Amino acid sequence: MRASHPIPAIAILGALAAAPGAVGQAPPASPDPASQGRDITVVLPEGNQLPVVQLAFPEVPDLAALAGTAGNAARELERTLRADLDRTGIFEILGPEELAVLELSGDLERDADQYRSLGAAMLLQSEVKLEGDRIVLEGRLIDLASRQTIVGKRYRGTFDLARRIAHTFADEIVLFLTSKRGIALTSIAFVSDRDGNKEIYLMDYDGHDQRKVSGHKSISMSPSWSGAGDTLAYVSYFGGGGPALYLADVASGRKSPLVTEGSLNVSPSFSPDGRRVAFARALGANIEIFVCLRDGSGVRRLTNSPGIDTNPAWSPNGQELAFTSSRAGSPQLYVMDAEGANVRRVTFQGEYNDGAAWSADGTRIAFATRAERNRFDIAVLDLVTLAAQKLTDGSGSNESPSFSPDGRRIAFSSTRAGGTQIFLLDSRTGGRVEQLTFQGSNSGPDWSPYPR
Amino acid sequence: MNRRPLAWSAALALTLLATACAKKTPPPQPDLGGTTVAKPSQPAEDVAPKPRPEVSDQTQDPLAGDIAAVNEYLQKNGLLGDIYFEFDKADLTEESRARLARNAEWLRSNPQFSVTIEGHCDERGTNEYNLALGERRASAARDYVASLGVAGPRLRTISYGEERPKCTQSDESCWSINRRATFLVTGRTNVG
Repeated sequence: MRASHPIPAIAILGALAAAPGAVGQAPPASPDPASQGRDITVVLPEGNQLPVVQLAFPEVPDLAALAGTAGNAARELERTLRADLDRTGIFEILGPEELAVLELSGDLERDADQYRSLGAAMLLQSEVKLEGDRIVLEGRLIDLASRQTIVGKRYRGTFDLARRIAHTFADEIVLFLTSKRGIALTSIAFVSDRDGNKEIYLMDYDGHDQRKVSGHKSISMSPSWSGAGDTLAYVSYFGGGGPALYLADVASGRKSPLVTEGSLNVSPSFSPDGRRVAFARALGANIEIFVCLRDGSGVRRLTNSPGIDTNPAWSPNGQELAFTSSRAGSPQLYVMDAEGANVRRVTFQGEYNDGAAWSADGTRIAFATRAERNRFDIAVLDLVTLAAQKLTDGSGSNESPSFSPDGRRIAFSSTRAGGTQIFLLDSRTGGRVEQLTFQGSNSGPDWSPYPR
Repeated sequence: MNRRPLAWSAALALTLLATACAKKTPPPQPDLGGTTVAKPSQPAEDVAPKPRPEVSDQTQDPLAGDIAAVNEYLQKNGLLGDIYFEFDKADLTEESRARLARNAEWLRSNPQFSVTIEGHCDERGTNEYNLALGERRASAARDYVASLGVAGPRLRTISYGEERPKCTQSDESCWSINRRATFLVTGRTNVG
């Protein structure tokens, strides 16, 4: 029952009382966004091009005095929390350097106006303490106008959970401010050849903790998460009979064959409920989309056109599949219902479009579109208007987009920095580009769902 | 691995060819699975496992050795050659058909071998679409060779998409070589 890689537990020790010196009442720990903090809910502007909240985030006090493992964990926690909050795009952070000009008393009632004089609208007060072999974070997000603590949390965990504690608090803040869960605890599956062969890897959403999932010493590729985030479907050549489909249990690392008959079974996509997998299979020279149950049984054909039908992607509600077809002469994106009926073309610009990936709300599809003969750009299709917008332009060849579960970021592979590496960008503007991988050649990212 | 020298091998001659590839070719192994080209009537059990000096290996039948040696021999002699494709296409060109006809002829006269036809692409498609395109290229080659009288079960296809480029520079000289179907001998069949 117990997985060999247990999910680490952080004790969430509940909401904190109001900040020292603060007036008024603190809201409950998990506010109902509909009724709480309406006046400070951040409405992200279309495009989210500007940071919307100036956040004062002073140094976490007394960390320098902590030595050894405890000190490393405490400093890692602070670094991670700063990076997480910065990465949300919600904040412009005023850190210790910017705040050094202030003469602070330690009394919030008096200091609040000092912070506000620099333009800060909120303050993040945090303390990191030790309790035996545990690390404790007490964090308060304070609205400087009202002096109210709007998010107050206390977390405790072993030293190795320092980053996880920071991620959990960051997600809590994002949830409160945007009414949408943060993505700091999600991860990304990808393909890397850093050990000499293409294998499946996982990393945290910020590129930390890159670890190998497969070890077939062959070619393994095309990872696809199950909706519950516990299993990956992927392709490997290790069986010797051509590319075939396998499942990997993420917690235990256990692998099992899914579909191995026939010369080509590729491009798996898990249905959101985790019960089925769509994939492409060769029937001679004819490549068609099939679907099977999670145990590999019930293989059924969904498409029926000469040429190539491939790379299916299940819509978030499980009722439709986007896929790539050459039926009109060049690779273009199509959408059909999950039974294979009602096929309609959705891309009409560009000579070569592939790699459909849905946003979690089902309104957008990201894909790779060939710009010149030598390179691809990432574009996003609005499924209502069928208008497509490019998010990359001219920098390397960009492929394999995958939305973050909150729909705000897209992971993709790019050759822009030499070799092939995995990057993130903003799904509306193409901005805030971040490189996550640096070792070997890395491609085919698939962003996990929210952890359960 | 079992490596018994073949007693009758000296009779096979083809000395020039054998000498040419002797440096890299490991000592050939007896074909326990069936008959050979040179002496189709002689059962494998009759091969005398008498020790022989190493030098005699240079005169072996190049097709009697292990599979790696067979492929090396074929490559050196321009047999079962690659065919090439247009950008984004899996259609056979006139040149490809001519090459496939020669490959089919060799396969008809060497019915003891089964082959895998690998389909490959250049790097300018997406990874996923190229897996499908590579399969179409391999299948196009297989279907044409089969139409010329080579039994279907001897012909297997595998697509590597853009995963196994022959040439890694990003220019047309490489791309045109990478858009290919490659024939590899992968086994012996019990025919003849």
